[in-house]
Amino acid sequence: MTTATLDKPRKLKLDSSEVVLRSVSYVTVTLFALFCALPFVLIVSASFSEESQIMEHGFSLLPRGFSTAAYELIFRSPRQIIGSYAVTITMTVLGVAVGLAITAMTGFALQRKDFPLRNQISFFIYFTTLFSAGLAPTYLWVARTLGLRGSYLAVFLQLLLSPWLIILMKNFCRSVPYEVVESGKIDGAGDFRIFAQLVLPMLKPALATIGLFLALGYWNEWYLSSLYLGSTVEFKPLQYYLYNIINTANALRNSVAGDNVTITNLPSNTLKMASAVVATGPIVLVYPFVQKYFVSGITVGAVKG
Amino acid sequence: MFNLTLSRRAILGSAAAVAAAAGLSACNRDNGSTPSSDDTSQAATITMLVLGDKPTNGRLEKMLTKLNEILTAKVNAKLELFYVEWADWQTQYNVQLLSGDSKIDLITTATDWLFGWENAQKGAFYALDEEILKANAPKTWEQVNGKGTWEECKLPDGKIYFIPEDNYTQWTNHGYFYRGDWAKSAGIPDGTITKFEELTTYFRWVKENQKKAFPWDVAGANETALTGWLQAHTDGQTIQQVSAGNYYPFQTTKADPYTVGSWYMESDELVAAAKNAKEWNDIGVWRQDAIGYDGDTRELFFSGLSGADQHHTQTFLGVWTTMNQRQKGSDPKMYWFGQENKNIFRDIKTHGAMAVSANSKNPARALKVYELIRNDEECYHLINYGIEGSDYILKDGKRARPEGWDPSKDGLGANFWGGRMDNLEIPDETTPPKRDEWFKELEGMSTDYPYSTLVLNKDAINSSLASMGSVLSKYIPQLQYGKFADPEKAITDMRAELKQAGYDDVKTALQTDMDTWAKEKGLK
Amino acid sequence: MGMQSTERAVEAPAVTRPSRAKGYASFWKGVSHSKMLLLMCLPAIVFFLVFAYGPMPGAYIAFTNFNYRDGIFGSPFVGMKNFEFLIKSGQLWLLTKNTVLYNLAFIVIGNVLQIGLAIMLNEIRSKYFKKVSQALMFLPYFVSVVLIGVIAFNLLNYDTGAVNALILETGGNPLKIYSMAGLWPFIIIIAHLWQSTGYGSIVYFAAIMGLDDSMFEAAAIDGASAWQRIRYIILPSLKPTFIILLLFALGGIMRGNFGLFWNLVGNNAQLYQTTDIIETSVYRMLVSQNNFTTSTAVGLYQSLFGFVLVMTVNWIVRRINPDYALF
Repeated sequence: MTTATLDKPRKLKLDSSEVVLRSVSYVTVTLFALFCALPFVLIVSASFSEESQIMEHGFSLLPRGFSTAAYELIFRSPRQIIGSYAVTITMTVLGVAVGLAITAMTGFALQRKDFPLRNQISFFIYFTTLFSAGLAPTYLWVARTLGLRGSYLAVFLQLLLSPWLIILMKNFCRSVPYEVVESGKIDGAGDFRIFAQLVLPMLKPALATIGLFLALGYWNEWYLSSLYLGSTVEFKPLQYYLYNIINTANALRNSVAGDNVTITNLPSNTLKMASAVVATGPIVLVYPFVQKYFVSGITVGAVKG
Repeated sequence: MFNLTLSRRAILGSAAAVAAAAGLSACNRDNGSTPSSDDTSQAATITMLVLGDKPTNGRLEKMLTKLNEILTAKVNAKLELFYVEWADWQTQYNVQLLSGDSKIDLITTATDWLFGWENAQKGAFYALDEEILKANAPKTWEQVNGKGTWEECKLPDGKIYFIPEDNYTQWTNHGYFYRGDWAKSAGIPDGTITKFEELTTYFRWVKENQKKAFPWDVAGANETALTGWLQAHTDGQTIQQVSAGNYYPFQTTKADPYTVGSWYMESDELVAAAKNAKEWNDIGVWRQDAIGYDGDTRELFFSGLSGADQHHTQTFLGVWTTMNQRQKGSDPKMYWFGQENKNIFRDIKTHGAMAVSANSKNPARALKVYELIRNDEECYHLINYGIEGSDYILKDGKRARPEGWDPSKDGLGANFWGGRMDNLEIPDETTPPKRDEWFKELEGMSTDYPYSTLVLNKDAINSSLASMGSVLSKYIPQLQYGKFADPEKAITDMRAELKQAGYDDVKTALQTDMDTWAKEKGLK
Repeated sequence: MGMQSTERAVEAPAVTRPSRAKGYASFWKGVSHSKMLLLMCLPAIVFFLVFAYGPMPGAYIAFTNFNYRDGIFGSPFVGMKNFEFLIKSGQLWLLTKNTVLYNLAFIVIGNVLQIGLAIMLNEIRSKYFKKVSQALMFLPYFVSVVLIGVIAFNLLNYDTGAVNALILETGGNPLKIYSMAGLWPFIIIIAHLWQSTGYGSIVYFAAIMGLDDSMFEAAAIDGASAWQRIRYIILPSLKPTFIILLLFALGGIMRGNFGLFWNLVGNNAQLYQTTDIIETSVYRMLVSQNNFTTSTAVGLYQSLFGFVLVMTVNWIVRRINPDYALF
């Protein structure tokens, strides 16, 4: 499936019901798209507003009294935010690479009809979506038994694989004709070589989709960080850093520490918004470039049972 | 869709995996290691958990380098600090202890605000005894033993779970800080609030006349509109050894000090307190969204944007100085809860305390290090004040700030709150001149905490206490901020739920322990 | 590529039922014959063993008065004590009710909107318009729930919120939204829909795109109106997708969109009555109240109840139409 087919126009005769439907569609889709975008406008606008205006009039769609003070404050001592970026980007890149490799290998093996253990292993993996230990036992296990409290590994490893993504990958792999595997076998290639050299190149949309899911998981992570990292690390993952800035006045003040800012001249509202923009911006900017793959990837993966 | 056959084999396989994992976790059980004789020829690093934001100005590191030279020379150990930041500190403190991190050796704790008893009971702290204390921290042992304070640090098993900060004079009784200048304008005689009711007058005046300020800008977890009122209007005395979640629901009365009760359950005054809180809410004392608000309220007080702030006397000493600099002529004052009916306790000895972690690899050395930072003058001054000359200077025998030293960014921040000593303190030149007068005044209103040697066995009632905690966490914040349209009905509901949670059983169990204790001490 | 061909039929059963002894033999033969494939699965197997199965025995905490000293299996056994109050007080029922109702609302409203939007997207002819609107609709799916909490606060808070700013400007009385429990089911559902509708509609959109053009052409020749086209061609063709998504969603009915709820509501006790779901209460008990026995008890209940639910639904579906059964 490619985007070309998605955009394929249908040549249909227009009667009145078609006209009505089409106009309704344009209006509704436009409204919904605006509804989706509106809050972002609000945040960006607030981040460029003057603090005093927000205190007085509240948030609004257009900045009130344009000011870049909040951004200046953030970038005057950008150490924390750069550190957080570095942590999150490293985790995302490594996580996507390793997670994708394992997910693809597993998905490939599990859909191989000549792999006798595939049902057992599939169930072994699928069972974890049906039954889980729960938050507290998992915390005790990971933090106490595995000793991962305060280690980035606690976050990194737990996000690495998900049963859903493996199942999704398995479904993708079904679209690869079995003849490909057989031809490889005839050439005397081992299973791993068949996978790496013959099958993998055919899975590009799948890899893009699952890679994006993994990337989203890592990029938006704050929850595991709050449990397993807290303040034990110097640089918190980006969204957890944002979570702290948003939820605690202390963290907000510390985020611009060293500037001798007091609460009277600390633009808390606009500073929160500017931090949100800085923490979210990149993924929003990257998205249009992967949109093509993402749409086609979902199409293949999600629809097929 | 997945074409999975739920074969018996698959299920057996999963079961085997579970069993294997069970085996793993069973192996990991802590086996209460015994402190092998401490070999000081082996270098050790002792990590101390403190609360606060780790300073980034480099002063802490310089101090530690110097301190560690001494510690290495004396006990062949280095000290490191591990910070639990103020952001989300209750959560982070608890999950840190829950993780059983073996890097941590010393843990700052407290029985009245840092879950000291809970964590002792859960086994987060190393069980100390006379032998190990005498061997590794002999001076500390003598000091505490001389005052009989060890009794206040024991669980029913007779072991000692933390070392109290019992030779340090401080008043940690709570109250409201307010502005004398505004109180005067509000028509309060002398601008001094002496009764809880006068706060309403004060708040009302601030609301009407200081448009930029909230009368009391308060954020999130606070219940003093209720407990402050109760302390001032009843002779209830809170039993500090037993908490339910973040609340302390059990009290006795001065009139009947050996009968366990609860002002949340039994007093009519709670209704009155809740009505007062509702009145405050209707006046607009705090912001509408105070429960979820997260502002830095002390800063707002300093900035003239809040008419009051709430904390204890010790904090007020610092606030007084800063407030006088930031809001000249504001005449900062403090109203103490219970001052009108002399219902104040002198400080308990475990408002600050130090525990050894149950997972410490080197409890003996940890105690040796503690002994030094508590009792060695040089070490003590380093960890508490920093390096003389750059962090502080001596002027007429008092501590003063060096030229250009800025309190907002040059703080040392070692936050050693588990063993300060009066006899090693150097007086601070910024201490409010009236400090001794205030302390004397407090002395006259206060009594000793009567239950410091009472030991309560909570094993059988823990789950009921936890249930009570979750009920209280649902109702108290809303009562505190006057959010129920009908507080009386809400209290009735809350009491019914607390009963369901097992209040009666808990009370009976506590009463039994109380009776035994009172009998033992010949009090009843 | 045929969207609707599920290829399920192609899959042959892996092993035909052998006798037990023969079963073990063929099991080991299978292992030795596909060492490489097994090896390729090994990282995943180890992963789930460590991070999913490893903590499972710990759920035993739910029946103990847990302390660190004695460990999970050494702590005193207290039977059902940790469950008692949860049941007696009706808390478990409230949590179950909230969780299930929220999920049902998400599923029903979500799917209706997604299908509607997909059909309308299909009507859009302008390539550029389609691309831009899709990008905008996807945007919410890409931002973290932390940001959604921020957005909500900016819209709804009493002192500076946009909603109250608007109300004030039009001369109304500002609303104390963070105290109004009755409003929150709507707010949460809207936030959830805002976050997921655009993304979800793409799945249906793709299914529509996969339909054979000849069907539409035939309908046009027959003079079918747009409504008839939707009613008789598009909607029936979405049924398999709908059912599969529905089953997935039902499988997670005891879970919840934890991040969304937590970032919207947090510790605001005023709203618990209508907003507390199992996962938020498990989290709060653990981290705010330091009460992990009850937290574990609720978590175990969630797992068991969810497990039974999925098994039952699957059993029913299998009886009606085995093709749609999850397993």
